[in-house]
Amino acid sequence: MSATEPHGGVTQGDFSERVAGALADSHLRAALDNATRQLGSRRILALASLDNADTVRDQARAARLNALAHLPEFLERFEAKLVANGAHVHWAETPQEANRIIVEVAKQTSTRCAVKSKSMVSEETHLNEALEEAGVDVVETDLGEYIVQLRRDRPSHIVAPIIHLTKQDVAAVMQQRLSVPYTEDTQELAAIARRHLRKEFLRAEMGISGANFGVVETGTICLVTNEGNGRMISTMPRVHVALMGIEKLVETMADLDRCVKVLARSATGQKITVYTTLVRGPRGPRDTDGPEEFHVVLLDNGRSRILAGETAEILACIRCGACLNACPVYRTIGGHAYGDTYPGPVGAIVTPGLRGLHDWSALPHASSLCGACREVCPVRIDIPRMLLELRREAAPHAEPQSLRPAMKMFAWVASRPRVYRAAAKAARWALRRLERNGWIRRLPGLAGGWTKSRDFKAPPGPSFQEMWRERQRQKGRAA
Amino acid sequence: MSAREAILARARQAQRTGYLPKPDGAHDAGLKPCATTETMHGNVAQGFSPAIAELLPRFLKELKGVGVESYVEDSDDAVRARVREIVGNRAALAWDADRLPYGVGSTLTGAAIGASPRDVQAAAEIGVTGCHAALAETGSLVMLSGPGTPRSASLLPPVHLCVVRRADILESMGQWFAEHAAAIASAANCTFITGPSRTADIELTLTLGVHGPGKVIVVVGP
Repeated sequence: MSATEPHGGVTQGDFSERVAGALADSHLRAALDNATRQLGSRRILALASLDNADTVRDQARAARLNALAHLPEFLERFEAKLVANGAHVHWAETPQEANRIIVEVAKQTSTRCAVKSKSMVSEETHLNEALEEAGVDVVETDLGEYIVQLRRDRPSHIVAPIIHLTKQDVAAVMQQRLSVPYTEDTQELAAIARRHLRKEFLRAEMGISGANFGVVETGTICLVTNEGNGRMISTMPRVHVALMGIEKLVETMADLDRCVKVLARSATGQKITVYTTLVRGPRGPRDTDGPEEFHVVLLDNGRSRILAGETAEILACIRCGACLNACPVYRTIGGHAYGDTYPGPVGAIVTPGLRGLHDWSALPHASSLCGACREVCPVRIDIPRMLLELRREAAPHAEPQSLRPAMKMFAWVASRPRVYRAAAKAARWALRRLERNGWIRRLPGLAGGWTKSRDFKAPPGPSFQEMWRERQRQKGRAA
Repeated sequence: MSAREAILARARQAQRTGYLPKPDGAHDAGLKPCATTETMHGNVAQGFSPAIAELLPRFLKELKGVGVESYVEDSDDAVRARVREIVGNRAALAWDADRLPYGVGSTLTGAAIGASPRDVQAAAEIGVTGCHAALAETGSLVMLSGPGTPRSASLLPPVHLCVVRRADILESMGQWFAEHAAAIASAANCTFITGPSRTADIELTLTLGVHGPGKVIVVVGP
């Protein structure tokens, strides 16, 4: 990632440009189609392996909503438990503050190299750039994120960061950046990454992770990974820093169990990820490994503001990515078009919430409101409701008066069948003049608003009434 | 005002706005009493009754499902023989002998342990551990960090051999949380291992052994 400054807002124009770029990229569309389809069907199979999937989803939802409803009390209890367990707790209102805290910890611990497991929150704060500016080498260790870092790219999916790349892309960047022979064998590519990253795990002074959950009653951080990098970064370096959003809490271990049950199933179609790690604190006095220092950084960055508004429910999200895989818009345009850390339906709500609706008002419109996201959400977040709410908030104040004459005219036409038929016939004739291959790229006048971001289907041949009359006529002739 | 106070103040203010939906009462009936592990234990304990006889086959089936090779042995001697055969003359990194069940430690002469230098540990070709519990529902191995039970043994080598006592097989993570809260609270780290290290980041192609062991073998003893 080369940008030092956080990205600016996405105007409708920027967004349309990115979408046009994504749509023109047939390679991207094939990769997305294949990946989202597979992840979607794996999720269904995995949920079927729970005899009471619906109940567990309700329980996971209740666990998350309960934590949000008691957030201030729970944060204080969580902090007290963490401190009692020997952790250092830091609070950050902004991304800059969070980065400053972590850079400070790096300085105090003489850290020259930091290894990171996957953390969306650190993408949000642009932590890597901050650490690099302070002279710390930062190495992403999740295979996908490592490749993103080698390519100076950005992740395009919450769970599968390089969903937009083929193995040829991966082979090329490894060959170029790591000076290894070109190979498209994924097992070999993973082995190369293992060798390179193993050295980093062993030399790094600091490990950085996110947190999938924080358990209030025990002061525990839960990390779920499949590769084992979450275990590596929380075991090998002397210092472990976990950067987490303040919304990530669950009250009890029983709540954690319910959330873990639906997280892996919804994310990758596994019953449980290969490694589910509960970090309670620094190593014990007689332990031979594990970090000597454990820091937790609690980041707000707009979350408490979201909690006070119409989109509060989105904070219950457990970042499984199921809504991305289910979304017809995400499946077509991919993650980069959304322009910020969180893509897909969840991103269309989170991004305006964290960064301000004014600059990001294009995102809530990137949805057909089909409701697939709500269907698949393991904690049943009502995403379409909030997309509509954000659209309403962002809309310029409508003036119904200006619509009135037009509606009156329509009513006059529509209540006179002869006039209506004639008008429809004329409209069809006019539209067909604009058609190319069944579609109309640009409508004239006021109707042009419709075709700004999508094509308009040209009317088919004869109307139903014309076809019906023709049919009756032929029947009459046959009889 | 510190960042902490500012965040907490805003969160308190947010609580008064009432935008957060309430969990649907119909779906959540009977859920509320789960405030502590004690009550959870009370609620669900009846649910965790299957006999070991039922748990073992389920555990083995789940292990197979996640790509773990398993052996079931009926005597201490047979477990030791099996471990000796699997380890062969590979350089091993093991838990301390007194933390391994069935006297397995005696078969591992010259194995590195948690107290060995890190480069020696990192060079090991096979990790040999016990576990604190095993979960039938998911085929998971539960590891608590502590003296003599280094995390490195189940993490650094390319192969992980885990010796499981039959009586340690539990139903699920929920049962482990409910019945072993004190043990979990005493360890800095509790890890559930379910199969070999894997990734599907490149074109969703399953690839094993990215950072952790690419091969996991379980030997269940009497």
